[in-house]
Amino acid sequence: MRCERYIRHDMTGTDEVDDNGTSAARTLAAVKTYGDGDAAIHALAGVTVEFPAHRFTAIMGPSGSGKSTLMQCVAGLDRLTSGQAFIGDVDLSTLSRTDLTLLRRDRLGFIFQQYNLIPTLSAEENMVLPLTLAGKDPDRAWLSTVVDTVGLGDRLGNLPSQLSGGQQQRVAVARALVPRPDIVFADEPTGALDSHAGVEILTFMRRAVDDVGQTMVMVTHDPHAASYADQVLFLEDGQIIDRMDQPTSDRVLDRMKQFEG
Amino acid sequence: MLTLAWRGVRHNTGRYVATLVAIITGVAFFAAAGFVGDRITRALEGDVDRQFAAVDVAIVVEDGADFADDLRIDGSVAEDIAALPGVEAVGGDLSGSVAFLGSDGTTFADGAVGRLWISDDALNPIDVDEGTAPLADGEIAVDAGLAEDEDIDVGDELTVLTLAGEFDVTVVGITTFGDSDAQDQSGTVSIPAPSAFDWLNSGQVEFEDLYVRGTVDETALLEAVEPLVPDGFDAQTGDDFRSDKRGEVAGFGRVLKITMQAFAMLALFVGGFVIYNTFNVIVSQRVRELAVLSAIGATPKQLKRSLRFEGVVIGLIGSVLGVVAGFALALGLAAILAAADVSLPGSGVALSSGVVIQGVIVGTLITYLSVTIPARRASRTEPIEALRQSAAETGTVSRGRMVATGVLAAIGVLGLLQGGAPLVALGVLSMFVAVIMGGPLIAIAGSRLLRPAFSRFGLEGRLAVDNVARNPQRTATTSNALLIGVFLVTLVSVAGTSAKDYAVAEINSLSSADYVIESDGGTIDDGLVADLEGVTGVEAVTPFRRESVTVDGEPGVVSTGDVAAIAEAASIELAEGSFDDLVAGTILLLPSTAGGSAIGAEDDPSLLGSVVTLVDAAGDSAELEVVGVLETSIDTISTGSFVATDTFDGFVGDTAPTVAFLDVATGVESDTEDAIEALTDRRPDITLTRGNTIGQLIGAVFDFLISAVNGLLLMSVAVALIGIVNTLSLSILERRRELGLLRVVGMVDERVRRMVRLESVLISALGTVTGVAFGVFTGWALIYTIDRASDADLGFSLPGRLLLVVLALGIGLGFLASLVPASRSTRLDVLDAIEAT
Repeated sequence: MRCERYIRHDMTGTDEVDDNGTSAARTLAAVKTYGDGDAAIHALAGVTVEFPAHRFTAIMGPSGSGKSTLMQCVAGLDRLTSGQAFIGDVDLSTLSRTDLTLLRRDRLGFIFQQYNLIPTLSAEENMVLPLTLAGKDPDRAWLSTVVDTVGLGDRLGNLPSQLSGGQQQRVAVARALVPRPDIVFADEPTGALDSHAGVEILTFMRRAVDDVGQTMVMVTHDPHAASYADQVLFLEDGQIIDRMDQPTSDRVLDRMKQFEG
Repeated sequence: MLTLAWRGVRHNTGRYVATLVAIITGVAFFAAAGFVGDRITRALEGDVDRQFAAVDVAIVVEDGADFADDLRIDGSVAEDIAALPGVEAVGGDLSGSVAFLGSDGTTFADGAVGRLWISDDALNPIDVDEGTAPLADGEIAVDAGLAEDEDIDVGDELTVLTLAGEFDVTVVGITTFGDSDAQDQSGTVSIPAPSAFDWLNSGQVEFEDLYVRGTVDETALLEAVEPLVPDGFDAQTGDDFRSDKRGEVAGFGRVLKITMQAFAMLALFVGGFVIYNTFNVIVSQRVRELAVLSAIGATPKQLKRSLRFEGVVIGLIGSVLGVVAGFALALGLAAILAAADVSLPGSGVALSSGVVIQGVIVGTLITYLSVTIPARRASRTEPIEALRQSAAETGTVSRGRMVATGVLAAIGVLGLLQGGAPLVALGVLSMFVAVIMGGPLIAIAGSRLLRPAFSRFGLEGRLAVDNVARNPQRTATTSNALLIGVFLVTLVSVAGTSAKDYAVAEINSLSSADYVIESDGGTIDDGLVADLEGVTGVEAVTPFRRESVTVDGEPGVVSTGDVAAIAEAASIELAEGSFDDLVAGTILLLPSTAGGSAIGAEDDPSLLGSVVTLVDAAGDSAELEVVGVLETSIDTISTGSFVATDTFDGFVGDTAPTVAFLDVATGVESDTEDAIEALTDRRPDITLTRGNTIGQLIGAVFDFLISAVNGLLLMSVAVALIGIVNTLSLSILERRRELGLLRVVGMVDERVRRMVRLESVLISALGTVTGVAFGVFTGWALIYTIDRASDADLGFSLPGRLLLVVLALGIGLGFLASLVPASRSTRLDVLDAIEAT
């Protein structure tokens, strides 16, 4: 059993999940190990966690704490070494590569630090990309709501190279929201943006949770970004060591400082 | 900086693989052609120099004497020359068909050449390898190849089948010709005089060539001999003779080498595109590294030199490997030919240093030149580019390029449609440059045109089309490599097919006898004629007598017989005059076509009534009045001019017929042919030719040439294929983040791979379609020009099925080329892909 330590329910906000009645995603004793033997690195050392539906969860931790790995394993981008990860009721470890891809297409949305738009597609085409891949028509009313929200109405026909970084990231946010996924995963979404553009993006994400009940999971190292979330999970050495509800920038910053001590 | 360049090579090995393969392929073919060609050339030339070393003066048939193969030098001339002061020995060549008759009545070694054994050892080019020289009656020697093939040993008693009949002989020697077994393809049988004259030349003492060995120097000897040289022959010094002979025998090796190397150069040229493209992509990918270098103080010159050095290193490695591969290829080629029973002169393959050096230089130079442009681009890298997110891609084409392309294309079209030969060549070149330069425009236009069609494949189809237009320059370079090969294949096919159809139609329009039988040295005797007439289906056998002569000094042929019947059998017609006018002292003249200004053309009215002088091999001459002019046809090649029998008898002598035309009834030709063959097979001197198969034969020759050239062109297509694999692989590496994202947001792997495949098919389709279109146009323009510039009326034949095959092949190869890159496109882990920089 090595140094794995199970996180008890009362430490992970089980009560709150119960209040909402559902968890959009969860892991059970999630272990992710890179390498073998003495050189093995335990990116996740047995994490059991639930991501409540219709809530905005931020995952924080110092570099190498395993926060990105946790998100990637839950989002079906990577596979666990042991343990389980669920999207809704689906155990990701039971899915083939293709089924995982289809699950991502139909039920998940993604926002990355490096925008990651397709350069040959226009802003609008990038927004509806997951739907196009699924062969579905976008819900026009919803699409225009999202477009209005991110404020790109006059830029829909432009190629990514004709947009600023902030605008590109707004397209990426819209792409994540347009298919109405069960969960949107965001990996350092403001990492490459200036503070103004960053605030814009975080505001859109917050509004999606408040207005339409979008479930949002964000990995960040920025206390200010984390303050937009409903709850913050703190990771260190591949384990969840703390949780904070209704975070503010100052409280998160204080908590983060303890890691260095 | 050189250290840096070397590191660059070492750390990017994977990216250089395609470049190396391209260089190796081209250089290997180049070197292999050189090795084989050199070996053949040297072996043959060496043989000539050694075997004819003692010849001081040679008397040979004049240049341009096409139909004068049986022009002979009378024995008296040889005697006269031998009597000259300073002449030590005279030897003459005489050859004729022989075969051996087996104990079971079947013949073997058909097609072997019987040769007069030259008794002077120094002059005789044939060496005795085993046993003794054939000197006495009933003795012969056979060459080593024949001895091995037919299992003949010294001391064997055989029956030799000659023009004069069957003779029992004893094999006393096995001979060689220099490093080869024999100078004759199907073997040499050496026969001593006087049997040789009886068996090969109806008992007449005559020679085809004379070799003279003397004690004085060659020039003096030549002057002494010259007055004795008969008409239709030339005397040469030994040096001139050997030099001609070298050219003659080594021509095969040299032509083979030059042709093969030309195609190899083409493959290398196409390889240049691949190399250029690879380095261009490498520069794009390393732009950040280059920018950092530039930021910390590397001068543009240093950056340029660094990349060029990389090119030279890669070129050198590739070329050396290519030469090694070429040597292996040459050995393999020789082995395959040996297995197919085609023995090349000279044993094995020589590793000639000339070819090695040439191969290395050519390969390295092409690589170096291909790297020049990317290197210049690299040297212009601004430090700021180190900070940019990704290399800027130019999706547009500069106006300068558009204008240049337009101007060149216009010049090309004008040149092709208006000009004479030099302008047409300029037009083709100009069009070619325009097509290559306009590649990016074609890429953009093509992808726009095909966008709707490809969008039907779904998003991946649309993305594939857009990717092609994204970097039109790179797409163009990739598809251009394929375009060159396809263009040439199309051009050769279109022009070749048109020329073939024209030639075959022209020949078919000339009626001819159904069969021609010719005796080489023997006669068409009455018995044979009777036998042939007895064959069911044979309607008429028209034998005639023929002799090689000179007509007003020009080599030619003259025939006699029942001229009306001959003309009837072979549909020979007169341009002027009448068959009835042919009496003693007159001639129905066949105008010379081979530079025969002396005899004039068909439509020269002054010919009628003029007097021509005929001289035969013995030196007898006759002056004859022209009473008719023959129209050239297939069969006039066999007959030459006609004279009356009396004229012929008085001039040539009372010889027997040596040629006959056969007319057969239609419908029974297959059985009849078998029966005729059964009769003629018994006579080694007789060859049977189907008159109307000449058209088919020429068609077959054209088809063979078209296929052979196209086969060789496939080499360049193969190199182009490597280019597509390379470009796709590199661009997938470049776009791995984008591909990763598509997979993250839900594009399943199979669709990603399909996208790559569609992209590949599109690139190859662009190259193939443009190549075919350009090739058809150029082919048409060539035919059009030929039609305009000459009397010939070549129709334009579009080999539709062949072009469809080319199109399908090009596009199919594009699919093939995509397999590796496509599987590679999804091999990378999604996360690694998306996080890649």
